[in-house]
Amino acid sequence: CKSKFEKLRTSTDTGRKYQEAIKLYNNKDYAKALILFDDLVQRYRGRAESEDLYYYYAYTNYKLKDYLSARYHFKTFADTYPSSPKAEECRFLAAYCYYLDSPNYSLDQDNTYKAIESLQLFINLYPKSDRVAEASKLILDLRDKLERKSYENAKLFLDIGDYQSAVIAFKNSIIDFPDTKYAEEMEFLTIKSQYLYAKNSLETKQEERYQEAIEDYNAFAEKYPKSVYLKEASDIKDDALKGIEETKKILELYSGIKTEKKDEQQ
Amino acid sequence: QFPALRSTTETKPKDLDYLNPKEYTIGGIEINGVKYLDKSVLITITKLAVGDRILVPGEATSGAVKNLWAQGLFDDVSLAINHTSGDSVFFDINLVERPRVSRIVLKGLTKTETTDIQEKLNNQKGKIVNENLRNTITNIITKHFYEKGYLYTTVKINPVNDTADVNSRIVNVIVDKKSKVKVNAINIEGNKDFSDAKLKKFLKKTHEMAWYKVFGSGKFLRDKYEEDKEKMIAKMREKGYRDAEIISDSVYRHNDKSVNIDIKLHEGPKYYFGNITFAGNAKYPSSLLKQILRIEKGDVFSEEKLDKTLRSSPSSDDVSSLYLNDGYLTFNADPVQTRIYGDTVDLEIRIYEGPQYTINKIILKGNDVTNDKVVLREIRTKPGQKFSKDLLVRSQRQISQLGNFDEQKIDIKPIPNPADGTVDIQYTVVEKPSDQIELSGGFGGGRVVGTLGLTFNNFSARNLFNLKEYKPLPRGDGQKLSIRGQTNGKYYQSYNFSFSEPWFGGKKPIYFGISAFTSLQSNGLSKGNPSLQKIRLNGLTFSLGKQLKWPDDYFRVDYAANLQQFKLNNYSGYLFQNGDSYDLSLSQVFSRNSVDAPIFPTSGSNIKFTVQATLPYSAFNGKNYNNLSTSEKYKFAEYHKWKFETQFFQKIYGKLVLKAQAQFGFIGYYNKDVGQAPFGRFKLGGDGLQGFDFLQGSEVIGLRGYSNNSIVPEGAVTTAGSPIFNKYVLELRHPITLNQSATVFVLAFAEGGNTWNKFSEFNPFNVKRSVGVGARIYLPIFGLLGIDYGYGFDAIPGNPDANKGQFHFSIAQQLGGFN
Repeated sequence: CKSKFEKLRTSTDTGRKYQEAIKLYNNKDYAKALILFDDLVQRYRGRAESEDLYYYYAYTNYKLKDYLSARYHFKTFADTYPSSPKAEECRFLAAYCYYLDSPNYSLDQDNTYKAIESLQLFINLYPKSDRVAEASKLILDLRDKLERKSYENAKLFLDIGDYQSAVIAFKNSIIDFPDTKYAEEMEFLTIKSQYLYAKNSLETKQEERYQEAIEDYNAFAEKYPKSVYLKEASDIKDDALKGIEETKKILELYSGIKTEKKDEQQ
Repeated sequence: QFPALRSTTETKPKDLDYLNPKEYTIGGIEINGVKYLDKSVLITITKLAVGDRILVPGEATSGAVKNLWAQGLFDDVSLAINHTSGDSVFFDINLVERPRVSRIVLKGLTKTETTDIQEKLNNQKGKIVNENLRNTITNIITKHFYEKGYLYTTVKINPVNDTADVNSRIVNVIVDKKSKVKVNAINIEGNKDFSDAKLKKFLKKTHEMAWYKVFGSGKFLRDKYEEDKEKMIAKMREKGYRDAEIISDSVYRHNDKSVNIDIKLHEGPKYYFGNITFAGNAKYPSSLLKQILRIEKGDVFSEEKLDKTLRSSPSSDDVSSLYLNDGYLTFNADPVQTRIYGDTVDLEIRIYEGPQYTINKIILKGNDVTNDKVVLREIRTKPGQKFSKDLLVRSQRQISQLGNFDEQKIDIKPIPNPADGTVDIQYTVVEKPSDQIELSGGFGGGRVVGTLGLTFNNFSARNLFNLKEYKPLPRGDGQKLSIRGQTNGKYYQSYNFSFSEPWFGGKKPIYFGISAFTSLQSNGLSKGNPSLQKIRLNGLTFSLGKQLKWPDDYFRVDYAANLQQFKLNNYSGYLFQNGDSYDLSLSQVFSRNSVDAPIFPTSGSNIKFTVQATLPYSAFNGKNYNNLSTSEKYKFAEYHKWKFETQFFQKIYGKLVLKAQAQFGFIGYYNKDVGQAPFGRFKLGGDGLQGFDFLQGSEVIGLRGYSNNSIVPEGAVTTAGSPIFNKYVLELRHPITLNQSATVFVLAFAEGGNTWNKFSEFNPFNVKRSVGVGARIYLPIFGLLGIDYGYGFDAIPGNPDANKGQFHFSIAQQLGGFN
């Protein structure tokens, strides 16, 4: 025997189905409502009720946390009924669904980029909307995530001892996000990475690389005279200077041995 | 509504000038020809609104038509100007409404065919019924069957009124697929040096039908045939016939069930390589490039061979690898045939070296579950390094070894920025399910046994208390957690737990693992019963491992501390029956693993050398072992154990892979008076599975074609295992599918192995031999399941059922082992 809902689902009385679907939605039985809406949006295409129906349909997906479908339907709504009073809301929600689907910073940020793009599109389309402030806040949130990702991944190179890579990655991160809140720390970490890179290099390469660390320090000290990292950075600079002295000595000693050998041979 | 608005000043619409659009205000829109649809909604869809100012003709008017078409509701849409009045325009939109498809009913097909086709026809539902729909449906169906070898399918379409829904039709489709078409004869013309038979062999998937061809039914499949033609020409060119081509070919009907194929060829003469010169190379001298090219004057001309040594050698000993491994990302070599005289072709290889690229950014995409660092720390292309193809390949291998991603779909794309000579490298991965669950109820040892095992290969311990990261468990840090319990009530219980972190501390690839187990076997009597027989084992292992940089970074060394406690109570089967015994040992494993994939390796080798030792207690505890009871004697087990295991994988032909494996193990004692330790010995024979009644005291090694643990030294009485074993395996493997959802391969093997009590008896060539065939299927959630049939040639004295034909089932959740 079929349940009452099953009977309704297979019935062809679209009018009653419509009523029941809205009722189910209002009673928060979204899963069942979705089954009916799925069927109804097909049948009501091109009819007067289809606008409201589609709006409910998109919201049902949203309430069921299926943000992928929801954002598609919100967008379709906004594209199909651009003059509807609900178009603005739907355009915003389509972008917001991307926002909700944007994962933790350390995972793939595809949805983050798309969220930023569609929120920006919203702001451009409805510059006077009440939701612009919220959209801007969300964009900041998302950019924050991207900054953090860039920072953490650069720092990973430092952590695992790939100092040269760390230097490049920190510099790239600052270029990509010039006003990031991590800028000061990353510039300090660049000095640190550059110093460690020099220290772990062949003696013949060390002087040049230490020199670069010192130059990085000078730029840093000028830019952030009150930085909390300044003390540590200047210690690194001192170590770099010492390092240069030491390699010079070693290289002298080595070339000394070489010339001695030559003398002996002669 | 709007005829009332018609004013007297109306004008007849003039001819519209597309070069000179005029601006109008929309005065009214009339929709004609619609019976079932709502007119006001249709006007909304046009995006034209009364009062708008638009250009006529212009984007808005063409857009209106487009938008209406996009609904897919009409057979025809047109927009016309009814009249204009002042600067107002009045539109007529004429629509031809058609009934829509409510259902498609297929007739004349089997159930599976119906579902397959219904799926392909799904998009057609809701569309209007017209000639276009008929054609689309017919095409979809005939194409579907054409691909399957039914060339003469007929389709009849018959729409009827659907009484359940207004303005809709049920579309009845009657399909007659006729019979499958085979190839009757292939006639080849124009060949002189190649025989017909040889050329027909080149047509791999298209062959004449014959009663003796059991495999390859002679089916005719168009797309396979097209591929085959290209392959045939490629084969001829490979053999020096560089002018070979197909002049014409035709496939024509022989009878209802078969076709004939005629192919007209131009064979041309056989060519040879002449002088080969290089131009444009600055970095490497021509003499070196020539050496790598390995083509001499007088060799049979083959573009394929040239391409192989110039660009795409599988072992990457080609000219372009030389450059690509040295940063020359935009390197290009273009072989130009400068002179052809008689049957000789002179070549000039024009080289464009381009700049040496340095790696700038590493971009990772597609990791929806696994955290960046887990992948990034394995990647070998580091910012600041010179670009290198080898490092790309190595990175791919490292990523696939993580086991969290689909090996076939790892995509690496270098994105060069020629402006500053740097290259960004983008890695795109696709997550795959890597967690495994083992839930079974089985019948073993005469009793029902239940097993529950869970393995999480991408665990994140730091998020254990962070409920937000539960999906449905904390995942993404590449740690491994596994728990497994097996019991049949009071007779047998075994519980295991293990956890491992591949980057202990997050700074260096130091593997850290901890595992613990407890197991119990008894005859089920209650605790106080004097005839209770029972053995309980408890174990705890800590391990630390590290990848080495020298001799190369495929090497690693692992250390482990193991503690095992054995508690025996009237238990026969070991050297003593009552008492407690402790086995505390340290082990060191030195290994090199360059196998290219964990499930179906096609190249690389795996070598492992293990030393495990306990302290020599008898040397300093001052006990006289000659008159100790056995339980006293084995209170602290003492032994030293050596194992050497090696396996090689090599592609030998097509997808056929050869696996060669050799294993040797030896367990020795420090003190003659103490003798062989009762634990840690080797049990050889059978499926190599740790059976349900397995107690962790010994090492189980499979040997197919013989029953489990059946291979014991002559005259051995103990069931604890043997102190010396060796084993050799040769296995040919061929994949059936290397899909990520299921990897399946078949294999044929020949193997041999034996066990000994003493080195003085050891003879590496005196082995119990067997041959057989088998199949493996890897399902991500179950691990590697296998079935083998082996035939053991050598009888085991005193165990007549141990050899001859034997079936073996196996399940391996750990991949990359020596089973």
